[in-house]
Amino acid sequence: MKIAVCVKQVPDSETRINLAAPAAKLDQTGFTRVLNPYDAYAVEEAVRIKEARGGEITAITVGPETVKETLKKDCLAVGCDKAIIINDPALAGADEAAIAEVLAAALKQGGYDLILFGIKAIDDDSGQIGILVAEKLGLPHVATITKLELGEGTLTAHREIEGGKEIVDCPLPAVLTCQKGLNEPRLPSLPNIMKAGMKPMQVVTCADLGLTPPASLVEIRQYSPPPARGTCRLVTGDDAAAAARELARVLNEEAKVI
Amino acid sequence: MANIAVFIEQRDGAFKKVAWQMISQARKLADASGGEVWGVLLGGDPAAAAALAGKHGAHRLFAAGDQLERYDSERYGTALAAFCRTQKPDLVLIGATALGRDLGPTAAAKLGCACISDAIALKFEGGAWEVRRPIYAGKCFVDVVPKTAPAIVGIRPNAFVAQDGGGAAAAVTAFDAGQAQVTPRAIVREIVGSDGGRVELTEADIVVSGGRGIKGPENYVLIEELAAALNAAAGASRAVVDAGWVDYSHQVGQTGKTVGPNLYIACGISGAIQHLAGMSSSKCIVAINKDPAAPIFKVADFGVVGDLFEVLPALTKAVKEIRG
Ligand SMILES: Cc1cc2nc3c(=O)[nH]c(=O)nc-3n(C[C@H](O)[C@H](O)[C@H](O)COP(=O)(O)OP(=O)(O)OC[C@H]3O[C@@H](n4cnc5c(N)ncnc54)[C@H](O)[C@@H]3O)c2cc1C
Repeated sequence: MKIAVCVKQVPDSETRINLAAPAAKLDQTGFTRVLNPYDAYAVEEAVRIKEARGGEITAITVGPETVKETLKKDCLAVGCDKAIIINDPALAGADEAAIAEVLAAALKQGGYDLILFGIKAIDDDSGQIGILVAEKLGLPHVATITKLELGEGTLTAHREIEGGKEIVDCPLPAVLTCQKGLNEPRLPSLPNIMKAGMKPMQVVTCADLGLTPPASLVEIRQYSPPPARGTCRLVTGDDAAAAARELARVLNEEAKVI
Repeated sequence: MANIAVFIEQRDGAFKKVAWQMISQARKLADASGGEVWGVLLGGDPAAAAALAGKHGAHRLFAAGDQLERYDSERYGTALAAFCRTQKPDLVLIGATALGRDLGPTAAAKLGCACISDAIALKFEGGAWEVRRPIYAGKCFVDVVPKTAPAIVGIRPNAFVAQDGGGAAAAVTAFDAGQAQVTPRAIVREIVGSDGGRVELTEADIVVSGGRGIKGPENYVLIEELAAALNAAAGASRAVVDAGWVDYSHQVGQTGKTVGPNLYIACGISGAIQHLAGMSSSKCIVAINKDPAAPIFKVADFGVVGDLFEVLPALTKAVKEIRG
């Protein structure tokens, strides 16, 4: 079974965003970068499938060469067999549609049975890429999966919806986007990180994929800080129960939210 | 003239209220820009949808029912794309629900149009739509302008207020959703509810969440009791989910659900940035925490510094008295 896992390197979630004035660009110097946490579920699921039935896993990303460390530690060292980095200066600032176009072109060359994504990246939070790629490749997709069973040439996935789940049957090849609950991602061991350095990592450009860098369909007008919240009003009373009663009164009579 | 189409989501005939929130907002934008608001219904009952859509400000309702009773991305994506090709709306609004987050990009790829996820504000400025959405876990807002027409925009539930303008039922037009050309491959075999009758986090008006401060799974009932008294949804921090005290479907935050209720009550939650990511757009935030230095107080509107084991039962009782 040939599996592709599409991953992204993102600023870690503690990263401070400094935006003094409204800006049309974001200063990203000094960000610590990690594997997008949702992608870890996709990588883990691919590795489990390989362990159960054999096969080969290719990790694919669009990004600058600095993604190599993340690919090595969080993909190759936990069981992926090789990595492809699509690094093209023309893709700086590319939107979801453009990135999906590029990934689809790279995936088309691989003949994969299964293509896995995280449900979204925690930096831009858009959650579209996996679905866009499926459509561009003409493949069926199941998004937001929390359980996966593979049959012969088919799969059954559980997909999270409000207050429940959908059980979906789908033929291979297919695209899946992975959600928390699917598995518990393993951590890389030091010896495996060392060994991962020997695994193949290929860097390609759009031209190598036979592609003119695709245009973005959206334009970013500006970044701005979220509105500041007012100060917190502490509600007190003679004891905890009195404070609770006062809180209920304030929420009811003043804030009018209950 | 800018016509705005609003996708009206239904499951088993029940409509998601985000549809009426979007229609109300779309009506304001359309009145300003000189266009119409159209509801788009796939499956479900057109008469019921037309009445509610009209009441909230829609001019027309486009409906297609053939093989669209239950969601699957291939049939629904084809239907929405077919609608856009024939009616040519400038903007399509879809609730950022589980279904909407799947349908938006599916239809956008078929149309080759822009798709913007999970917006919290929308305006028409300088001759273009400007869509505001939080990124980087809500630490930053970005204003995005789509360069295509139509553009598909996902709207976070509760970002807008539903307004009953008392309008007459929208006029219903049936449309050909192109289903003759689709044989779906990914088929929803079964839908299983996990928690019957529970108020759903992402669309709740009030959310009560518990954190590690509740100390153990047996105490989550304190959260559930307050939630029940308020007709609220019950959430949790990741610490509680990872400890196995509640199912991950309750998790609020960066790697959990995004909620935007009128009232969010955080009990025994420190207020880590990843938790704030999921709830900082709540209109009113209440923190109950025994540590006065907990970061949650920096985002809260009201706070009680105290032991949740004493505060919560008293609060539940007081709420029950107020709400009768
Ligand atoms: C990549 C990544 C993603 C993450 N995603 C999420 C996410 O989606 N959601 C999320 O919530 N977290 C997430 N986290 C984890 C987050 O960083 C915090 O660890 C987590 O939110 C802490 O949960 P907590 O506030 O319940 O626990 P703690 O930080 O342990 O806080 C417990 C609080 O309870 C208070 N307390 C204790 N006892 C009482 C009492 N008797 N009465 C009143 N108060 C009491 C304490 O004062 C303390 O403030 C993520 C972390 C990472 C690295």
